[in-house]
Amino acid sequence: MEMEMGNSGLAVEKHVQYILSVEKRKDDFVSVVMEHLRLNGAYWGLTTLDLLGKIHAVDVDEVVSWIMACQHESGGFGGNIGHDPHILYTLSAVQVLALFDKIHILDIDKVTNYITKLQNEDGSFSGDMWGEVDTRFSYIAICCLSLLHRLDSINVEKAVDYIVSCKNMDGGFGCTPGGESHAGQIFCCVGALAITGSLDKVDKDLLGWWLCERQVKSGGLNGRPEKLPDVCYSWWVLSSLIMIDRVHWIDKEKLIKFILDCQDTENGGISDRPDDAVDVFHTYFGVAGLSLLEYPGVKPIDPAYALPTDVVNRIFFNG
Amino acid sequence: MEADGAAVLLLRRLNSILDSDPLIDEVGFVHPTQLASLVGSQGGSLAGDVDCKLYCRDHKLGISTDVVVTLYREAKRAFFEAKKKYEAEEGTDSEEMEDDLIRFSRAVVLLSSDFGTAWNSRKMIVSKKGLLTMFMNELQLSELILSYVPKSDQAWSHRRWAIKMISGKSQTLQEILRKESELVEKIAERSKMNYRAWNHRGWLVSFMTREQVLTELNKSKSWAGLHVADNSSFHYRRRLLMRYLKNSCHENEKLPQGPSKEECHLWKEELNWNESLLKKYIGREALWLHRRFLSLCWIRHFSACHSPLPCFSENVTGGPDHFLDQELNLVTSCLVVPDNNFDDFEAQATHSATYTLWLAKQLPRTGGVEFAEKLRENNICSLVHKFCPNISFLEMIADANQSGTQGGN
Repeated sequence: MEMEMGNSGLAVEKHVQYILSVEKRKDDFVSVVMEHLRLNGAYWGLTTLDLLGKIHAVDVDEVVSWIMACQHESGGFGGNIGHDPHILYTLSAVQVLALFDKIHILDIDKVTNYITKLQNEDGSFSGDMWGEVDTRFSYIAICCLSLLHRLDSINVEKAVDYIVSCKNMDGGFGCTPGGESHAGQIFCCVGALAITGSLDKVDKDLLGWWLCERQVKSGGLNGRPEKLPDVCYSWWVLSSLIMIDRVHWIDKEKLIKFILDCQDTENGGISDRPDDAVDVFHTYFGVAGLSLLEYPGVKPIDPAYALPTDVVNRIFFNG
Repeated sequence: MEADGAAVLLLRRLNSILDSDPLIDEVGFVHPTQLASLVGSQGGSLAGDVDCKLYCRDHKLGISTDVVVTLYREAKRAFFEAKKKYEAEEGTDSEEMEDDLIRFSRAVVLLSSDFGTAWNSRKMIVSKKGLLTMFMNELQLSELILSYVPKSDQAWSHRRWAIKMISGKSQTLQEILRKESELVEKIAERSKMNYRAWNHRGWLVSFMTREQVLTELNKSKSWAGLHVADNSSFHYRRRLLMRYLKNSCHENEKLPQGPSKEECHLWKEELNWNESLLKKYIGREALWLHRRFLSLCWIRHFSACHSPLPCFSENVTGGPDHFLDQELNLVTSCLVVPDNNFDDFEAQATHSATYTLWLAKQLPRTGGVEFAEKLRENNICSLVHKFCPNISFLEMIADANQSGTQGGN
C-alpha cells in the first residue's frame, strides 16, 4: 500500500532521522525552553520510534539511566534532572520504561505512593504538591498505576465519580466540573474510564456526535468548535472514538491524507497543519493517529494507554 | 556549570532593571539591530556594557534576541545554585538566600514561562512569608508573563494558587475576582479562543455571589456578541447561567414549583439574543452550539413543568411543543441557500439542520419521536443528506430518525 501511495506515503526513514536529530540538538532556543519537559519529549520521540519499528536506534542504557536520574526522592519524576516532580512527567517515565521493558527497575511502592498521595477527598487528582486539579491528572494517575498493577492503591470509585462530574451537556468533558469540553480532556476522561472499566458512564452517541463534528472539510480534526484542524487531534479525537466504538462515524481516508500532507518529506517530522514547522509532539501524534487508522508499516497503538499494543500486552499478559 | 562573566553581568542588569521598575507591563524579544535603533532614537536606560542588549523605557522591557539563550542559561544556573543552597540550609531563615531565589526564579520564568520548578520555588517562599503584598506581586509577575505568553499553563495555574492563598487572608477577594475577569477579557482579545484563559475565568465563577454572576452575564455579553466564533466565551456564559440556576436551587426551598420568573426571563432573553446573532452572523458553529444548550435546558428545566410557568403568561411562549414549533420555524428560515455567498449559507443550513437532529436525539423518548416526525415532514433529513454528503455519522442519525427509531446507545 505504501508503494501505491507513491510520494504521498509515510516517510518512515525521514521521520526516524528527524527524531534522532532532535535528541542531539540542544542549542537552539526551542530546544532550550523545552528542557523542563524533556521527559515528555522523550516519550513522544521514543514511542514514535517504536511505532515505526526503530526503537533499537537508541542506546537503552543511556536513556534509562537518564530517566532514573530524573526521579525525585518522593518517588515522582521531574521533567529533567534537578527539576521538581510532577505527575505529568511521572507517567512519561513509566511509559518510556515500559517501551524498553524496564518497569521492574522501578521502586514500584515509591512511585505508587507518590501518585496515591495526590488523590483528593473528592476523588480528583492534583498534579503535584501545589494542588492544581485537572482531569488530565486523573487519567495520568489511573494509567500509571494500572501499568504498575497498583490501581487498587487509590479510591477508584471516587476517581471515576469525579471524572463523571466533569461531563458536560454536549457529552464531552472539561478539566474540572463545568469546564469547557476539549478533545484533549475528553481523551483523558474516556481513557481513564476505559482503564477502570467504567465506559458505561459515557453517553457514547452524544459524545461520538461531538467528536465527529471535529472533522473539518480538509479531513483534519480540530479540538474544539470553530478551531483550525491540528494533527495532534488525530490522536485525541480518534483514540476517544475508538474507545467508545464510534470511529466508523468519521471519514478515515480524508484524515489519513490530512496527516500525510503535514509531513516534511525532505527533512522528516510532522507539523500541526500542512506547510507549518515540524516538531516532535506533532510527529508523535501524526504517527500515532496513523497507527489508529491501521496505516501499513506502523505498529498498532493502544488507544487508552497510548503505548504500542505489544508493550501493553507484555505488561498485562506476559508479566 | 561554570558561570560566564558576560552572562553574569547581563543577568545582574536584568535583575536590577526589574527591581528598579516594578511597573513593567510589557516584555519584547527584539532583534539586535532594532534594539540598537530604539536605544539610539529614544534614549532610555542603556543596560548593556558595550552593546545594548537590554532596554527599558515607559515600563516596556526589550531583550535582544541574540542574548536570550545566554541569559536564560545563566538565569537557570543561578536559580538552581540558589535553590540548592537554600535547600541545604533549610531552617536557617536567611533573607538573602530567599531574595536570591525570588530574583533568579523571576528571570527564569520571564524567559521560559512554563518552567514549573522556578514557579514552585516562588510558591514555597511566598507561602512561607505569607505576606499579602508578596501574593499580589505574584499576580503581577504572572500577568506580565501572560501578556506575551497568553497560553502559559504554569502562569495561569500560579494565579489560581495565589488567589486561593489570598482568599483566606484578605477581604478584597471580590475585587480580585472582578479584576481577574477583566484580565481574561483583555488577554482573550489578543489571543483568540484561548482555552487556558477562559478556563481560568470559568474557575472564578465558583467564588462568585449571585449578584456577581448576574453582573458577569451582563458584562460578558457585548464581548461575546462581537466574537461570535469564540466558543469559549459562550461556554463561559453557559457556566454562569448554570451557576445562576444552581444557586437558586439552593436558595429556593420551593424548587418543585419550578424556576422563578427571573430565571425564565433570563433564559428567554439569552435565547432571543442568540437568535438575533444567528440571523446576523451566518454560519457560525459556536452560536448554534450555544442554542443547543439553551434549548435543551429550556425544555428540561422550564417548559417541562406541569404547572404554568410565570413567564408563559407573558405571551412569550407556551409548552415544549410550542417551543419546538418555533425552533422548527427558525431552522426552516435558515435552510434557504442563495446562489451567491454559498459557503456561509451552506454552513448555516448544515448547523441549523444538525441542531434540530441533535435536539430530537436529546429529547425524552416520546417527545423525540414526535419531533423527529415533524423533522421528516419538513424534509430536514433529506436536507442533511444534501448539505453534508460526506458526514457519515449524520446520515446514520438522519436515517435513524427517518425510520422513526431513536439511534439509542
